Amino acid sequence: MAEASPLHHLYFAGIDIGSTMTKAVIIDAAGAVIAAIKGPTGAEHRHLANEVMAKALESAGLKLEEIFRIVATGYGRFNVPFADEHITELSCHARGVYHVFPGARTVVDIGGQDAKCLKVREGRLVDFAMNDKCAAGTGRFLELTAQSLGVGLEGLAALSQKATKPVEISNMCTIFAQQEVVMRLSQGERIEDIIAGLHRALAERVAALARRLGVEPEVVLTGGVAKNAGMVQAMRAALGCDLLVPPEPLLTGALGAALLAKEHTERLLAQGKPLEVKARRLEKATFYTGG
Amino acid sequence: MAAKGLLRAEEVYHDPTRRVRELRAKGKKVIGYPCVYVPLELLAALDIVPYRICGEMREPVTEADRVLPASFCPIMRSCLDCSLKGRHDFLDGTITVHASDPQEKTARIWQSYTRLPYFHFIDMPGTTRTEALEYFASQLDGMVTTLETFSGKKLSADRLNKAIEAYNQQRLLVQSLFELTKPSPPLVSGTEIVKVIKAVMSLPVDEGNQLLNEVLEEVKARKEKPQAKRARLLLWGSTTDDAAVMSILESNANVVFAEDCAGYRPYRGKVIVATDEVMALAIHYLLEITCARTFVQSTATPTKKDYQQDLQGRYGYLKSIISDWKIDGVILLLVRYCDPFAFEVPAVKDYFASLGIPATYIEYDYTEGSLAPMRTRVEAFLETIG
Repeated sequence: MAEASPLHHLYFAGIDIGSTMTKAVIIDAAGAVIAAIKGPTGAEHRHLANEVMAKALESAGLKLEEIFRIVATGYGRFNVPFADEHITELSCHARGVYHVFPGARTVVDIGGQDAKCLKVREGRLVDFAMNDKCAAGTGRFLELTAQSLGVGLEGLAALSQKATKPVEISNMCTIFAQQEVVMRLSQGERIEDIIAGLHRALAERVAALARRLGVEPEVVLTGGVAKNAGMVQAMRAALGCDLLVPPEPLLTGALGAALLAKEHTERLLAQGKPLEVKARRLEKATFYTGG
Repeated sequence: MAAKGLLRAEEVYHDPTRRVRELRAKGKKVIGYPCVYVPLELLAALDIVPYRICGEMREPVTEADRVLPASFCPIMRSCLDCSLKGRHDFLDGTITVHASDPQEKTARIWQSYTRLPYFHFIDMPGTTRTEALEYFASQLDGMVTTLETFSGKKLSADRLNKAIEAYNQQRLLVQSLFELTKPSPPLVSGTEIVKVIKAVMSLPVDEGNQLLNEVLEEVKARKEKPQAKRARLLLWGSTTDDAAVMSILESNANVVFAEDCAGYRPYRGKVIVATDEVMALAIHYLLEITCARTFVQSTATPTKKDYQQDLQGRYGYLKSIISDWKIDGVILLLVRYCDPFAFEVPAVKDYFASLGIPATYIEYDYTEGSLAPMRTRVEAFLETIG
């Protein structure tokens, strides 16, 4: 109960700046989500993590001063000027997924720019594997091929359900796969079968990454790609096991970040350290450039 | 007054060819080598300055693409590219080694396209058996012959012993430098060590030794030490000679031991002359350099196959590093297409697991663009080890 906690008046936020989407989650001292906002990271929005945060505050009916601790995650996590700490999206996903599915041992996250598999014990990241090749095996692969098929991301799931005989897509290079798609179309293959073939090819690739780590149930799929029912089905088939999908598969990173912010504060409290609110302003994010 | 110690190392690190260019202008012969299996003593004894050819991560490969296939060691690709662009125009020749197929094949292309006066290729045996050792020694005899012809000098036992002494001194100095990373916080950072070693590899042996002595003295005395960070890491891999890569690894950790070809590996052990100097060199280079390309057959169980004993035979030297340097975790860092090391990864990971040491494998494509993803992997790894 929130009332029972000495932190009851405090709120915590997680902000996850991914390659495609920026997500913010605000939780209360009981861990209940009171605001969850998604917005495109996009070229022009790249520095506007502050706006996503402002929207989350508005949705929660809170002021910035009421947020006790903010954790930034995702590839844009560095130098979010209003964050107290940055933690990798791997640990944040592990923590967020545990909140939704306490039995989770394996997390497969397919985002816009990478795919990762996490081994999780009670919400803690214990091992991981990430794709380290290119766009192959990522949401971007689906996005671009959907584009060249003229169906858009939203069309993928529905169309793939109508497949009767998924075609073999052998090339996982995003550019070459598109050429293969064009070739298949000219051979008279049905678009539904091509899409199902693309899903299968992507799922096989990510499953191979997961097998490197060892797949233990329960297995959870997160990231934007988990919103595509055709992909979820293909992942189930590729992994040969059941797959859980959180109601909001994009938000587990930001949720985990908020929960880690809360737990950090609880540790401070347990150590008898004074809780001081950091003075901060919602400033534009600056991005890590490698220098 | 010329810069000394770490400042001098920094200077040479950023402009590694300057000193050898000066020496060449004064009439010295300079021979480049990309691989640590080349016995530098033989060059120094004939008054030739060895220069370690390194890749340049920031230089986009353009020229080498004309002559090399696409899926190929990015470091060799970069080394050749720099040569084709005239960056190594001070060299009188190159010595390459059959340490990996990319190096062997690149060597030939190097020779064909740069047309340097001297070229030698060492056919490095793939095992550490006695007959392999004898073959390697005969290869080194062959190298002495070509070097003598090229330099117009005769190799004397006296000069060779002096050179062996100087390089043994260098090994000892680098080993002493790594002694200074044993305390917490370490007295010298992994990033500083990368710069020092790259500088040493770009200088004649006596100047390298002088630099090392200055650095040792300086870091022992300085007040501003590196900070103790989240974990003490061992880096295991092929070659990490770029300070930007090391500083990514050191963002939240201290890399206190670098087991790679621009770290401790070339400086392990020493050359011990019993009777024959060339055989002594062969023993040291074949048996003491722990490059993944050499197959170390298990001596423990020649007939009974025991995986753990086999691992112990191949990687036993890592065990004392783990305990002496109080290692919390291991980064297995390879550039893409480094097959000799990539083949070792599963086994060496098993070995670290048997010691209870967490290890993570990171592959990068030898571009600056790979640094940000590398940082995420390193941070996530640190988060797993707490």
